[in-house]
Amino acid sequence: MKKFCPIWNVRRRPSMIRSVPALLLLLLACTVGAADLPPLGHKMNSISPPLAAPDFTLPDMDGETHSLSEFRGKVVMLNFWATWCPPCRREMPSMQRLYEKYSERGLVVVAVNQFEDPDLVFEFTGRLSLEPTFPILFDRESRVSEQYKVKGLPTTYLLDREGRIHYRAIGGREFDHPDVEALIEGLL
Amino acid sequence: MGRHVLKGLQRLGVVLLLVAGGVQPLWAADGGVTIKNDPETGTKSWKFAGNGLDIELIQVPPDFIRASYSARGLPPSVSEAVATRCVFGTIVRNVSDSPLSYRVADWRYMKADGVELPIKTKTEWLEEWHGMGVRFSWSILADDPTFAVGDWIQGFTTMAEPHGSRLSLKLVWSIEGKRYEKVLSNLECAPAPEHDS
Repeated sequence: MKKFCPIWNVRRRPSMIRSVPALLLLLLACTVGAADLPPLGHKMNSISPPLAAPDFTLPDMDGETHSLSEFRGKVVMLNFWATWCPPCRREMPSMQRLYEKYSERGLVVVAVNQFEDPDLVFEFTGRLSLEPTFPILFDRESRVSEQYKVKGLPTTYLLDREGRIHYRAIGGREFDHPDVEALIEGLL
Repeated sequence: MGRHVLKGLQRLGVVLLLVAGGVQPLWAADGGVTIKNDPETGTKSWKFAGNGLDIELIQVPPDFIRASYSARGLPPSVSEAVATRCVFGTIVRNVSDSPLSYRVADWRYMKADGVELPIKTKTEWLEEWHGMGVRFSWSILADDPTFAVGDWIQGFTTMAEPHGSRLSLKLVWSIEGKRYEKVLSNLECAPAPEHDS
Protein backbone atom coordinates (compact mmCIF):
# COMPACT_ATOMS: atom_id res chain seq x y z
CA MET A 1 0.00 0.00 0.00
CA LYS A 2 0.99 3.62 0.20
CA LYS A 3 3.04 3.21 3.33
CA PHE A 4 6.07 5.13 2.13
CA CYS A 5 4.35 7.68 -0.05
CA PRO A 6 2.87 10.62 1.77
CA ILE A 7 1.23 11.96 -1.35
CA TRP A 8 -1.87 9.99 -0.46
CA ASN A 9 -1.90 11.48 2.98
CA VAL A 10 -5.25 13.11 3.73
CA ARG A 11 -3.43 16.23 4.81
CA ARG A 12 -2.35 16.77 1.26
CA ARG A 13 -4.28 19.49 -0.49
CA PRO A 14 -5.80 18.66 -3.86
CA SER A 15 -3.28 18.70 -6.64
CA MET A 16 -3.15 21.84 -8.72
CA ILE A 17 -1.31 22.13 -11.96
CA ARG A 18 0.03 25.62 -11.78
CA SER A 19 0.31 26.33 -15.44
CA VAL A 20 -1.21 25.26 -18.71
CA PRO A 21 2.22 24.45 -20.15
CA ALA A 22 2.84 22.10 -17.27
CA LEU A 23 -0.48 20.37 -17.87
CA LEU A 24 0.16 20.05 -21.58
CA LEU A 25 3.62 18.73 -20.95
CA LEU A 26 2.16 16.18 -18.63
CA LEU A 27 -0.47 15.11 -21.11
CA LEU A 28 2.08 14.87 -23.87
CA ALA A 29 4.41 12.95 -21.64
CA CYS A 30 1.69 10.46 -20.91
CA THR A 31 0.97 9.91 -24.60
CA VAL A 32 4.26 8.10 -25.03
CA GLY A 33 3.29 4.49 -24.81
CA ALA A 34 5.62 1.60 -24.25
CA ALA A 35 4.28 -0.73 -26.93
CA ASP A 36 6.48 0.41 -29.82
CA LEU A 37 9.59 1.32 -27.89
CA PRO A 38 12.84 -0.64 -27.85
CA PRO A 39 13.34 -2.73 -24.72
CA LEU A 40 15.12 -1.20 -21.76
CA GLY A 41 18.33 -2.81 -20.64
CA HIS A 42 18.69 -4.67 -17.37
CA LYS A 43 22.37 -4.49 -16.50
CA MET A 44 23.55 -2.60 -13.44
CA ASN A 45 27.28 -2.12 -13.25
CA SER A 46 29.36 -2.95 -10.22
CA ILE A 47 31.22 -0.23 -8.36
CA SER A 48 34.29 -1.72 -6.80
CA PRO A 49 35.15 -1.08 -4.09
CA PRO A 50 31.73 0.08 -2.91
CA LEU A 51 31.53 3.80 -2.13
CA ALA A 52 29.88 5.43 0.86
CA ALA A 53 26.67 7.08 -0.32
CA PRO A 54 26.55 10.75 0.72
CA ASP A 55 23.74 11.45 3.15
CA PHE A 56 21.16 14.06 2.22
CA THR A 57 17.91 15.52 3.46
CA LEU A 58 15.13 16.43 1.05
CA PRO A 59 11.40 17.21 1.24
CA ASP A 60 8.68 14.88 0.05
CA MET A 61 5.36 15.81 -1.57
CA ASP A 62 4.07 17.24 1.69
CA GLY A 63 7.21 19.18 2.42
CA GLU A 64 8.22 16.80 5.20
CA THR A 65 11.93 16.11 5.13
CA HIS A 66 13.59 12.72 4.87
CA SER A 67 17.24 11.75 5.08
CA LEU A 68 18.91 8.89 3.31
CA SER A 69 20.27 7.79 6.67
CA GLU A 70 16.68 7.00 7.75
CA PHE A 71 16.89 3.98 5.49
CA ARG A 72 20.09 2.61 6.97
CA GLY A 73 19.58 -1.11 7.53
CA LYS A 74 17.66 -1.46 4.27
CA VAL A 75 18.83 -2.06 0.75
CA VAL A 76 18.16 1.18 -1.11
CA MET A 77 17.51 1.72 -4.81
CA LEU A 78 18.23 5.43 -5.28
CA ASN A 79 16.83 6.78 -8.53
CA PHE A 80 17.37 10.28 -9.98
CA TRP A 81 14.62 11.20 -12.41
CA ALA A 82 12.23 13.78 -13.88
CA THR A 83 8.82 13.55 -15.52
CA TRP A 84 10.06 15.05 -18.82
CA CYS A 85 12.65 12.29 -19.20
CA PRO A 86 11.15 9.47 -21.35
CA PRO A 87 13.28 6.60 -20.00
CA CYS A 88 12.59 7.77 -16.44
CA ARG A 89 8.89 7.36 -17.08
CA ARG A 90 9.34 4.01 -18.72
CA GLU A 91 11.38 2.46 -15.94
CA MET A 92 9.24 3.69 -13.06
CA PRO A 93 6.61 0.90 -13.20
CA SER A 94 9.38 -1.69 -13.04
CA MET A 95 10.75 -0.01 -9.92
CA GLN A 96 7.30 -0.20 -8.36
CA ARG A 97 6.99 -3.91 -9.18
CA LEU A 98 10.41 -4.48 -7.69
CA TYR A 99 9.46 -2.53 -4.60
CA GLU A 100 6.27 -4.50 -4.15
CA LYS A 101 8.18 -7.76 -4.45
CA TYR A 102 11.03 -6.96 -2.07
CA SER A 103 9.90 -4.24 0.33
CA GLU A 104 8.94 -6.68 3.08
CA ARG A 105 12.41 -8.21 2.87
CA GLY A 106 14.13 -4.86 3.30
CA LEU A 107 14.27 -3.07 -0.06
CA VAL A 108 13.27 0.56 -0.30
CA VAL A 109 13.13 2.59 -3.50
CA VAL A 110 13.83 6.32 -3.15
CA ALA A 111 13.07 8.42 -6.24
CA VAL A 112 14.77 11.81 -6.22
CA ASN A 113 13.04 14.16 -8.63
CA GLN A 114 15.05 16.89 -10.31
CA PHE A 115 13.93 20.52 -10.50
CA GLU A 116 10.19 19.90 -10.70
CA ASP A 117 7.13 21.09 -8.92
CA PRO A 118 5.57 18.56 -6.52
CA ASP A 119 2.12 19.31 -7.94
CA LEU A 120 3.24 18.34 -11.42
CA VAL A 121 4.86 15.16 -10.12
CA PHE A 122 1.77 14.31 -8.10
CA GLU A 123 -0.39 14.58 -11.19
CA PHE A 124 2.11 12.55 -13.20
CA THR A 125 2.33 9.67 -10.76
CA GLY A 126 -1.43 9.52 -10.53
CA ARG A 127 -1.61 8.82 -14.25
CA LEU A 128 0.90 5.99 -14.28
CA SER A 129 -0.42 2.51 -14.95
CA LEU A 130 1.25 1.44 -11.72
CA GLU A 131 1.35 4.23 -9.17
CA PRO A 132 4.55 4.44 -7.17
CA THR A 133 4.13 3.85 -3.45
CA PHE A 134 7.78 4.39 -2.64
CA PRO A 135 9.07 7.76 -1.41
CA ILE A 136 9.51 10.55 -3.93
CA LEU A 137 11.79 13.35 -2.77
CA PHE A 138 12.44 16.72 -4.38
CA ASP A 139 15.91 17.95 -5.27
CA ARG A 140 14.75 21.26 -6.70
CA GLU A 141 18.25 22.71 -7.16
CA SER A 142 19.95 19.42 -8.07
CA ARG A 143 22.41 19.74 -5.20
CA VAL A 144 22.03 16.08 -4.26
CA SER A 145 22.45 14.90 -7.84
CA GLU A 146 25.64 16.97 -7.93
CA GLN A 147 26.85 15.20 -4.79
CA TYR A 148 26.28 11.90 -6.56
CA LYS A 149 27.93 13.18 -9.76
CA VAL A 150 24.86 12.31 -11.79
CA LYS A 151 25.63 12.95 -15.45
CA GLY A 152 22.17 12.39 -16.87
CA LEU A 153 18.69 11.17 -16.10
CA PRO A 154 17.77 8.59 -15.15
CA THR A 155 20.66 7.41 -13.03
CA THR A 156 20.13 4.73 -10.41
CA TYR A 157 22.30 3.48 -7.56
CA LEU A 158 21.91 0.33 -5.51
CA LEU A 159 23.04 0.64 -1.89
CA ASP A 160 23.63 -2.07 0.68
CA ARG A 161 22.24 -2.04 4.22
CA GLU A 162 25.26 -0.06 5.41
CA GLY A 163 24.70 2.74 2.89
CA ARG A 164 27.45 1.80 0.45
CA ILE A 165 26.95 2.08 -3.31
CA HIS A 166 27.47 -1.28 -5.00
CA TYR A 167 25.87 -0.82 -8.43
CA ARG A 168 25.01 1.98 -10.84
CA ALA A 169 22.97 2.30 -14.01
CA ILE A 170 22.96 5.35 -16.31
CA GLY A 171 19.92 5.36 -18.58
CA GLY A 172 16.63 3.53 -18.32
CA ARG A 173 16.43 -0.04 -17.12
CA GLU A 174 13.83 -2.76 -16.56
CA PHE A 175 14.43 -3.16 -12.86
CA ASP A 176 12.27 -6.19 -12.21
CA HIS A 177 14.40 -8.24 -14.57
CA PRO A 178 15.95 -11.38 -13.01
CA ASP A 179 19.45 -9.93 -13.48
CA VAL A 180 18.64 -6.94 -11.28
CA GLU A 181 16.71 -9.09 -8.82
CA ALA A 182 19.77 -11.31 -8.44
CA LEU A 183 21.83 -8.26 -7.42
CA ILE A 184 19.20 -7.29 -4.86
CA GLU A 185 19.03 -10.83 -3.51
CA GLY A 186 22.77 -10.63 -3.03
CA LEU A 187 22.47 -7.46 -0.96
CA LEU A 188 19.45 -8.46 1.12
CA MET B 1 -0.10 31.64 -23.38
CA GLY B 2 1.23 32.53 -26.77
CA ARG B 3 0.43 30.69 -29.95
CA HIS B 4 4.12 30.01 -30.45
CA VAL B 5 4.39 28.29 -27.11
CA LEU B 6 1.36 26.16 -27.88
CA LYS B 7 2.84 25.16 -31.21
CA GLY B 8 6.07 24.37 -29.47
CA LEU B 9 4.29 22.20 -26.95
CA GLN B 10 2.57 20.30 -29.72
CA ARG B 11 5.96 19.63 -31.25
CA LEU B 12 7.33 18.66 -27.88
CA GLY B 13 5.13 15.59 -27.91
CA VAL B 14 6.42 14.74 -31.34
CA VAL B 15 10.04 15.14 -30.31
CA LEU B 16 9.48 13.08 -27.18
CA LEU B 17 8.06 10.37 -29.35
CA LEU B 18 11.01 10.60 -31.67
CA VAL B 19 13.49 10.54 -28.82
CA ALA B 20 11.71 7.53 -27.41
CA GLY B 21 11.76 5.85 -30.79
CA GLY B 22 8.02 5.44 -30.89
CA VAL B 23 7.27 6.50 -34.45
CA GLN B 24 7.34 4.68 -37.75
CA PRO B 25 9.64 6.87 -39.83
CA LEU B 26 11.05 6.73 -43.31
CA TRP B 27 14.60 5.44 -43.29
CA ALA B 28 17.57 5.88 -45.58
CA ALA B 29 21.21 4.89 -45.21
CA ASP B 30 24.19 7.10 -46.01
CA GLY B 31 27.74 5.97 -45.30
CA GLY B 32 26.86 3.92 -42.23
CA VAL B 33 24.53 6.63 -41.02
CA THR B 34 20.84 5.95 -41.00
CA ILE B 35 18.71 8.96 -41.75
CA LYS B 36 15.20 9.09 -40.43
CA ASN B 37 12.68 11.50 -41.89
CA ASP B 38 9.36 11.63 -40.15
CA PRO B 39 6.81 12.74 -42.76
CA GLU B 40 4.28 13.71 -40.15
CA THR B 41 6.47 16.30 -38.46
CA GLY B 42 9.21 16.93 -40.98
CA THR B 43 11.73 16.20 -38.26
CA LYS B 44 14.93 14.49 -39.37
CA SER B 45 17.38 12.41 -37.41
CA TRP B 46 20.71 10.70 -38.03
CA LYS B 47 21.83 7.47 -36.37
CA PHE B 48 25.23 5.82 -36.38
CA ALA B 49 26.40 2.65 -34.66
CA GLY B 50 29.98 1.43 -34.80
CA ASN B 51 33.07 0.75 -32.70
CA GLY B 52 31.00 0.40 -29.55
CA LEU B 53 29.14 3.69 -29.92
CA ASP B 54 25.50 4.10 -30.84
CA ILE B 55 24.47 7.72 -31.36
CA GLU B 56 21.35 9.38 -32.68
CA LEU B 57 20.96 13.09 -33.41
CA ILE B 58 17.44 14.48 -33.77
CA GLN B 59 16.52 17.95 -34.97
CA VAL B 60 15.08 20.04 -32.17
CA PRO B 61 12.91 22.95 -33.32
CA PRO B 62 13.44 26.23 -31.46
CA ASP B 63 9.81 26.40 -30.39
CA PHE B 64 10.23 23.08 -28.62
CA ILE B 65 13.13 24.49 -26.65
CA ARG B 66 11.23 27.63 -25.76
CA ALA B 67 8.18 25.65 -24.65
CA SER B 68 10.16 23.07 -22.75
CA TYR B 69 12.24 25.59 -20.85
CA SER B 70 9.26 27.83 -20.21
CA ALA B 71 7.38 24.89 -18.73
CA ARG B 72 10.28 24.38 -16.31
CA GLY B 73 9.94 28.01 -15.23
CA LEU B 74 13.22 29.07 -16.82
CA PRO B 75 13.55 32.71 -17.85
CA PRO B 76 13.45 33.68 -21.55
CA SER B 77 17.12 34.66 -21.39
CA VAL B 78 17.97 30.99 -20.79
CA SER B 79 15.63 29.53 -23.40
CA GLU B 80 16.53 32.08 -26.08
CA ALA B 81 20.24 31.48 -25.67
CA VAL B 82 19.65 27.82 -26.54
CA ALA B 83 16.74 28.22 -28.98
CA THR B 84 18.64 30.58 -31.24
CA ARG B 85 21.28 27.87 -31.79
CA CYS B 86 21.27 24.77 -33.92
CA VAL B 87 20.22 22.06 -31.50
CA PHE B 88 20.11 18.28 -31.84
CA GLY B 89 18.54 15.96 -29.32
CA THR B 90 21.34 13.45 -28.85
CA ILE B 91 21.14 9.90 -27.55
CA VAL B 92 24.45 8.17 -26.83
CA ARG B 93 24.72 4.49 -25.93
CA ASN B 94 27.63 2.28 -25.03
CA VAL B 95 27.00 -0.88 -27.04
CA SER B 96 30.50 -2.28 -26.49
CA ASP B 97 31.61 -4.81 -23.90
CA SER B 98 33.88 -2.30 -22.11
CA PRO B 99 33.60 1.16 -20.57
CA LEU B 100 33.23 3.92 -23.15
CA SER B 101 34.07 7.58 -22.63
CA TYR B 102 33.80 10.76 -24.62
CA ARG B 103 34.35 14.47 -24.10
CA VAL B 104 32.12 16.90 -25.92
CA ALA B 105 35.08 19.31 -25.73
CA ASP B 106 36.85 16.98 -28.20
CA TRP B 107 33.99 17.05 -30.69
CA ARG B 108 33.98 19.57 -33.55
CA TYR B 109 31.43 20.65 -36.08
CA MET B 110 32.34 21.79 -39.56
CA LYS B 111 30.53 24.16 -41.84
CA ALA B 112 30.72 24.00 -45.62
CA ASP B 113 33.94 26.03 -45.60
CA GLY B 114 35.64 23.28 -43.60
CA VAL B 115 36.36 25.39 -40.54
CA GLU B 116 36.22 23.29 -37.38
CA LEU B 117 34.42 24.81 -34.41
CA PRO B 118 33.91 23.60 -30.85
CA ILE B 119 30.57 22.75 -29.30
CA LYS B 120 29.47 24.65 -26.23
CA THR B 121 29.67 22.10 -23.43
CA LYS B 122 27.25 21.39 -20.61
CA THR B 123 29.85 22.72 -18.18
CA GLU B 124 29.95 26.01 -20.07
CA TRP B 125 26.15 26.22 -20.20
CA LEU B 126 25.83 25.54 -16.49
CA GLU B 127 28.43 28.15 -15.61
CA GLU B 128 26.36 30.64 -17.59
CA TRP B 129 23.05 29.57 -16.06
CA HIS B 130 24.33 29.37 -12.53
CA GLY B 131 25.85 32.83 -12.99
CA MET B 132 22.32 34.02 -13.78
CA GLY B 133 21.02 32.38 -10.63
CA VAL B 134 19.37 29.53 -12.53
CA ARG B 135 20.03 26.16 -10.91
CA PHE B 136 18.64 24.04 -13.75
CA SER B 137 21.26 21.42 -14.54
CA TRP B 138 19.59 19.28 -17.16
CA SER B 139 18.73 19.11 -20.87
CA ILE B 140 22.29 19.58 -22.23
CA LEU B 141 24.19 16.40 -23.13
CA ALA B 142 26.64 15.32 -20.43
CA ASP B 143 30.05 16.47 -21.55
CA ASP B 144 32.52 13.98 -20.12
CA PRO B 145 30.87 10.76 -18.98
CA THR B 146 32.29 7.29 -18.79
CA PHE B 147 29.65 4.72 -19.61
CA ALA B 148 29.74 1.21 -18.28
CA VAL B 149 28.34 -1.56 -20.43
CA GLY B 150 24.74 -0.85 -21.37
CA ASP B 151 24.73 2.72 -20.09
CA TRP B 152 23.18 5.44 -22.19
CA ILE B 153 22.27 9.08 -21.95
CA GLN B 154 20.40 11.78 -23.80
CA GLY B 155 20.54 15.56 -24.01
CA PHE B 156 20.89 18.55 -26.32
CA THR B 157 23.96 19.20 -28.43
CA THR B 158 24.16 22.88 -29.36
CA MET B 159 26.05 24.56 -32.17
CA ALA B 160 26.28 28.33 -32.68
CA GLU B 161 24.80 28.18 -36.18
CA PRO B 162 21.56 29.54 -37.64
CA HIS B 163 18.48 27.38 -37.99
CA GLY B 164 18.45 25.47 -41.24
CA SER B 165 22.25 25.33 -41.49
CA ARG B 166 24.03 22.28 -42.84
CA LEU B 167 27.08 21.02 -41.04
CA SER B 168 29.15 17.96 -40.25
CA LEU B 169 29.96 16.68 -36.80
CA LYS B 170 33.19 14.98 -35.81
CA LEU B 171 32.67 12.61 -32.91
CA VAL B 172 35.51 11.30 -30.78
CA TRP B 173 35.27 8.55 -28.17
CA SER B 174 37.49 5.97 -26.56
CA ILE B 175 37.19 2.43 -25.32
CA GLU B 176 39.96 0.85 -23.25
CA GLY B 177 42.35 3.60 -24.27
CA LYS B 178 41.69 3.23 -27.98
CA ARG B 179 40.48 6.40 -29.65
CA TYR B 180 37.79 6.34 -32.34
CA GLU B 181 36.47 9.06 -34.64
CA LYS B 182 33.47 9.34 -36.91
CA VAL B 183 32.28 12.26 -39.01
CA LEU B 184 28.55 12.58 -39.51
CA SER B 185 28.12 14.60 -42.69
CA ASN B 186 25.31 16.76 -44.00
CA LEU B 187 23.44 17.19 -40.76
CA GLU B 188 20.68 19.73 -41.06
CA CYS B 189 19.76 22.03 -38.23
CA ALA B 190 16.05 22.33 -37.57
CA PRO B 191 14.54 25.00 -39.77
CA ALA B 192 13.49 28.33 -38.36
CA PRO B 193 9.83 28.37 -37.36
CA GLU B 194 7.48 30.09 -39.77
CA HIS B 195 6.86 33.00 -37.40
CA ASP B 196 10.60 33.74 -37.32
CA SER B 197 11.09 33.69 -41.06
